Amino acid sequence: MKTLDSYKVLIVVPAYNEEAAIKQTLNKLLNIKKHLPFVDICVVNDGSKDRTADIVRSFEEVILLDLPINLGIGGAVQSGYKYAAKYHYDIAVQFDADGQHNEEDLMTVIKPIINGECDMCIGSRFVKQTDYSGSPFRRMGIYYFEFLLFLLTRKKYTDATSGYRAINQKVIQLFAEEYPRDYPEPEVILFLHRKKLNIKEISVNMKERQGGSSSITPFKSVYYMFKVTLSILMQKLIKE
Amino acid sequence: MKITWLSFAIVAILFIIVVESVRRGVLETKYSLLWIVTCIIMAFLSISDNLLNTVAGWLNVYYPPSLLFLFGLLFALLIIFDLTRRVSKLNKEMTQLTQDYTILKEELEKRKRQEL
Repeated sequence: MKTLDSYKVLIVVPAYNEEAAIKQTLNKLLNIKKHLPFVDICVVNDGSKDRTADIVRSFEEVILLDLPINLGIGGAVQSGYKYAAKYHYDIAVQFDADGQHNEEDLMTVIKPIINGECDMCIGSRFVKQTDYSGSPFRRMGIYYFEFLLFLLTRKKYTDATSGYRAINQKVIQLFAEEYPRDYPEPEVILFLHRKKLNIKEISVNMKERQGGSSSITPFKSVYYMFKVTLSILMQKLIKE
Repeated sequence: MKITWLSFAIVAILFIIVVESVRRGVLETKYSLLWIVTCIIMAFLSISDNLLNTVAGWLNVYYPPSLLFLFGLLFALLIIFDLTRRVSKLNKEMTQLTQDYTILKEELEKRKRQEL
């Protein structure tokens, strides 16, 4: 069995116009890196129009993937996974730049992967009661996806839209080749389910965002629900 | 002027524009195929009353020239769908290119830093 230190872990932080929160997020992650030296931090700047890239560049230990065009969250995260595949990382963790994710939970999402319990581990706000409370509308959306995914997979995913997730090498390879483009989180669950890979949810704490604004405005959320539902159903239709 | 002649004239002009575009290299040959096929079929339907009437007879269309609209519309749909597929493919290729470029750029910058 490999020791913990022999693992290479890449934290992928997709960032789009996050100048308000990115510095704090990176400081927290670098603090964690002191205890977990096998972790590398990679920010994917998704064509931000603000100073996000400059701020990240001032952190020498942080890897910066500076996309010249805005590819959307899917394309940005996939760049990180491609980097992870190229440099043979064992584990990749997606981590939000806006300060919602708790860096202290990092080991919580990584551990099940190291122990071989699953191929992807999702940090969920709702497995246990946590401090998090989103708007009622948002919670409704999350319940909707829980229901939809249950219909299609017969498994319970309490937080399908959570972007806090860790994946093993097998899934890194898979995602480097194919990853959905817009709002990919719920779709990915079905994608891996179709590939007969194990997904586990684990309880984490999340905060409200610390700065910047969500990519999903109320205006876009109806389109979001419709689009994601369609792509989830399409995933179900795709034959191997 | 009969609608069939008007239709023929429009299709003929379109045909010339398509061929001219290919000649000047503005339109790729492979993309011109669908347009050329469309023009030829529409031209035949417009110019030949017999053909139009026969096809209308098969399809139980009482006013044969309305078939021109139907076929025109169907071809337009076909071409739009073909375009959407090509845009999707381009999009995918663009994403891939951007990602590979970005990773290479990072490598280059890392090397430069090491040399300093």
